[in-house]
Amino acid sequence: MSVNNSLVVVVLAQAVLYGTPLLYAALGELLAERSGVLNLGVEGMMLFGAAVGYWVTQTVHGADAPVLILAVVGAGLSGAAMAAIHAFLTITLRASQIVSGLALTIFAGGLGLSAYFGAELDLASLPTTHQFASLDVLGLADLPVVGPILFDQSALVYASWVLTLVVAVYLGRTRWGLNVRAVGEAPASADAMGINVTLYRYVHVLIGGALAGIGGACYSLSIIPNWFAGDSLVNGAGWIAIALVIFAFWRPGLCLLGAYLFGGLSALPAALQAHGVTIAPEFLYSLPYVMTIVVLVIVSTSLAKRRLGAPAALGVPYVREER
Amino acid sequence: MIRLERRLEQPRWLLVAVPVGSLIVAFAIMAVILAVTGHDPGHTYRQMLDAGFTGNGAFSATFISATPILFTGLAAAAAFRMQLFNIGAEGQLYLGAVGASWIALQLGERGLDSTPLYVVAMCFAAGVMGALWALIPGVLRAFANTNEIITTLMLNYVAGFLITYLIFDSSSYWRDVSTLQAQSFPQGKPMPAGAEWPTFGSSVVVPLGFLIGLGVAAALWVLYSRTRFGFEVSVIADSPRAARYAGMRTRRKILAVMAISGGIAGIGGASQIGDFTHTLDPTGLQGAAFGYTGIVVAALARYNPFAVCLVAVLLGGLQNAGFTLQGPDFPSGLVGVMQGIILFCALGGELLIRYRVTISRRARQQGDAGPAAEPAR
Amino acid sequence: MTGITKRFPGVLANEDVSFEAAVGEVHALLGENGAGKTTLSNILTGLYRPDEGQIELYGEVVHFHSPRDALNAGICMVHQHFRLVEPFTVAENVVLGDHRSEGRRFFVHSPAIERRVEELGERYGLGVDARSRIWQLSVGEQQRVEILKALYREARILIMDEPTAVLTPQEAEALFTILRLMAQEGKTVIFISHKLHEVKAVADRVTVLRGGRTVETVLATDATQRSLAALMVGREVELGRRHEREAKPDGEVVLELDGVRVPGDRGGEALNGVSLALRSGEVVAVAGVAGNGQRELAETISGMRAPSAGTIRVGARELRPGDARDAIKAGVAHIPEDRLGTGLAPSLSISRNAAFKTYRAAPISRGPFLAMKRMGELAQSLIQRYDVKAPGPETPARNLSGGNLQKLMLGREFHGDPKVLIAAQPTRGLDVGAIETVHGFLRDAASDGVAVLLISEDLDEILALADRVVVMYEGAIVGELEAGTATVEELGYLMAGGEAR
Repeated sequence: MSVNNSLVVVVLAQAVLYGTPLLYAALGELLAERSGVLNLGVEGMMLFGAAVGYWVTQTVHGADAPVLILAVVGAGLSGAAMAAIHAFLTITLRASQIVSGLALTIFAGGLGLSAYFGAELDLASLPTTHQFASLDVLGLADLPVVGPILFDQSALVYASWVLTLVVAVYLGRTRWGLNVRAVGEAPASADAMGINVTLYRYVHVLIGGALAGIGGACYSLSIIPNWFAGDSLVNGAGWIAIALVIFAFWRPGLCLLGAYLFGGLSALPAALQAHGVTIAPEFLYSLPYVMTIVVLVIVSTSLAKRRLGAPAALGVPYVREER
Repeated sequence: MIRLERRLEQPRWLLVAVPVGSLIVAFAIMAVILAVTGHDPGHTYRQMLDAGFTGNGAFSATFISATPILFTGLAAAAAFRMQLFNIGAEGQLYLGAVGASWIALQLGERGLDSTPLYVVAMCFAAGVMGALWALIPGVLRAFANTNEIITTLMLNYVAGFLITYLIFDSSSYWRDVSTLQAQSFPQGKPMPAGAEWPTFGSSVVVPLGFLIGLGVAAALWVLYSRTRFGFEVSVIADSPRAARYAGMRTRRKILAVMAISGGIAGIGGASQIGDFTHTLDPTGLQGAAFGYTGIVVAALARYNPFAVCLVAVLLGGLQNAGFTLQGPDFPSGLVGVMQGIILFCALGGELLIRYRVTISRRARQQGDAGPAAEPAR
Repeated sequence: MTGITKRFPGVLANEDVSFEAAVGEVHALLGENGAGKTTLSNILTGLYRPDEGQIELYGEVVHFHSPRDALNAGICMVHQHFRLVEPFTVAENVVLGDHRSEGRRFFVHSPAIERRVEELGERYGLGVDARSRIWQLSVGEQQRVEILKALYREARILIMDEPTAVLTPQEAEALFTILRLMAQEGKTVIFISHKLHEVKAVADRVTVLRGGRTVETVLATDATQRSLAALMVGREVELGRRHEREAKPDGEVVLELDGVRVPGDRGGEALNGVSLALRSGEVVAVAGVAGNGQRELAETISGMRAPSAGTIRVGARELRPGDARDAIKAGVAHIPEDRLGTGLAPSLSISRNAAFKTYRAAPISRGPFLAMKRMGELAQSLIQRYDVKAPGPETPARNLSGGNLQKLMLGREFHGDPKVLIAAQPTRGLDVGAIETVHGFLRDAASDGVAVLLISEDLDEILALADRVVVMYEGAIVGELEAGTATVEELGYLMAGGEAR
């Protein structure tokens, strides 16, 4: 048996695959939170994006590539549309960010809009027509160990790597990135320096929604790839993504590592079973969630001591004229 | 130009008018969505009213839906009032069900059959289990300052896996292995006869659990508005620094409030076993999303225990109608969409409660007769 | 600015205010706290929009819809509470939101900005390391960054809002020199203050505001401190005379700190082995620039913070570290500098706030239950005795003005018959009437035998009230003086870290 079929390599390759939707959603939430807005509706946005993405592949006819690109765009737009509701409520109407995000999850989630949308269009009964296939990059897919992990993934995975880099450079080195960080840390200071706090927050929340939608589409267009109603399509990935952002200290690079860590934990149960290791499946399924808690505890205790951490104005609506 | 001015005081009538108004707006929006997607809103609403309240046996069925979300709504309200965002009522309810069913089976084995004994024992065991499950994130929040939103949420998933494991993937105490059929199609042991909770009324049947819930609501109200405990909660909620300044023990409060919240949700689990399912049913519990709906209830009720009772019945009716009418010509997912819209409108309405909206023409130059400010309430 | 009027819910901040400033002038806006100076300047910088009136810049009428418009017009303000982003470097703060030259590039190129910052720093005497992060800087250095922001943008009008609150007297002098230099170069400096001697020292002309209206504009050379004070307050004022105490306080030692060390929020030590003793009836003032451990001192004594070493004794009793309830029981009262947020819960009613110290026992509570009526009665009696102007005891605390908040807190703390009273910045932001009232309360407390620890940045206030003055610098007490013989210069020297002579 070649090393590429061994448990470790398989799990690592799947870690990348399962971690990708987490990465998209986490990067999106990171951008929103950097501008000071907490969006707990990620799960709902992912579910809706998954449904819309799938629908696009069913309605648009053509070759794989253009249809899939359109599907991703559609998923992104639908996620952004959901995020727009949250943005309006929390930025303009100054509502509680936490309750609004939860409301969005219920509204758009598996018992809400995505189910409604899917039922109206009868998506569950339609077989998959287009999906993201693994691209054998440069013919290196058979390299020992690194081959399946790095060179045999879908376009969505490679795009996510580029995205991580883009977000990191954006935040750290560009003027706009500086501005958005200022908005999240000290909106009053940013406002006094002439930066449009409202605009920056809206834009970043919408982008966050778009990325969440794309993350959801990863499931219906690549990982499963199919669509069915209910929450289990995404099964808590949206919430893990929110935790990921904290785990990554609001930095894109660490998001990538964290996403693959949790992706690996999700892939572990199936891989273990395929290799004849029998542990009660529920124990394995609960591992990512327990790990999230553990990681969060570690991060919280160290956050209390370090100077780095959450954008200082996260979760607080900005009001200019309040006395 | 629309301007928002913070209100100095909040007139009483507004606190009732705004939630009611937002409900009306929500139904209007929903009607538009229905119409646009080819359903007749009037017909749909009439169906829902019939299935939820007015039809034969509808109200009784509504109580079945309302009882669990009454408990989870109270649980959410109890915690959210102190800015503790316990999203874990879902899992805490599951654990409560586990505890209640365990003790019921234990009592049954000892041949006891006094129903009041069962009720008390089940509520107690369920409350303890729910409280303990909530204390895990509670401790993490109190001592490690870990965000309770994520931790309570993660534990929901773990709790779900736990009960699935108990019935589906193990030969646990809760699993029924008595018959050959039960061995191949996993299900929970049936509860002994004494564990069937009584109901009240004949044309409209009210389960005992709902009445217990009303009692819990009253107790919660007294606790939060008339006791020292509630006083400290109100200070901590408004300003944790001021609470520390006044010498209040914030950590202990966090633990206490989480335990209370989890305990209430747990009792909801006992009610599920005693009032309705009479066995530990993981699939049913996980499909119903009691915990999350409870949050909606609490938010709409603005965390007031008595309002929670009312809203629970209303949303219970909505959910009941959703289940009953589910089928090819009644859109699925409607329930979640409606709840979301209602919540959005309620959130928007919050604005009117906290701020006064004024529409004024732009300030004229040359020191002219100033702007005409018409307060638009 | 002509005919400016600005209303807030419940308050008319500016009413028909007019004044004008010339190129190359240092123009002071003088008024007591609450007179409307900050509101006016916020309108000038585009943060607020006036309800009535207009602004003319170099002869043309301008409308500012946002701070950006004002910045583009060359108006920069150094706020009392700095508008800086703490985790950013100096260079990043300076270039934030700037549209010209370096700011226009898409990618932020730090070295060029840093060089320019250092150039400006040298030219104007505002040296700061452009690469350091704001939270690492002292308050005085942070203020320099604020001024550098304006210079970097080649501001033509610079507004300074109460800049000397965070400076030692010597640093204030240095600042005045810098401001005069800038005026000589053709800039206009608008200097907002409520301190008479400063205004006389630095300004060319002075516009006095009172109760939201303009009173008069005078030449600084024509006015005296006394005449300015009269304009400011509307009547003849006694200027800060010390009330000599009849008897030297020689009561027992009521509060004793011994070698107290407290870790700081950002690493390091906030209190570095502080030892202090207060006698009954004594007023001891703690002088020092903000950020040298005063807040931590107050919080440690009142039990909000736990010391890592050392003891605190009230009378014979040693306080449990970090236990506010123990401190309260021992008779420690605390008026924190953060009124709404630490001392009071902003959204809660006066009634609830007034019960902070008394709710645990009868008559406010009966067993686990609260007697709401009694709570209301207590609040009502405090409102009346301490002249707190409020619609009623159920009014939320945030609706009260600064002076009334202070009176409420004083009333609440005195009600418990404290042995020690810590008053941190008790008169910050208050108008003259309220200041006099608060000073009266503090003196009365001392006469009644309370040991008063007054923490203040206002040296005039310290010299007027205290028996003894200790100076804090970098978490330690660096000097102790008798208030009767201390001078502002000596205190300023110690506050800046000089060695005690």
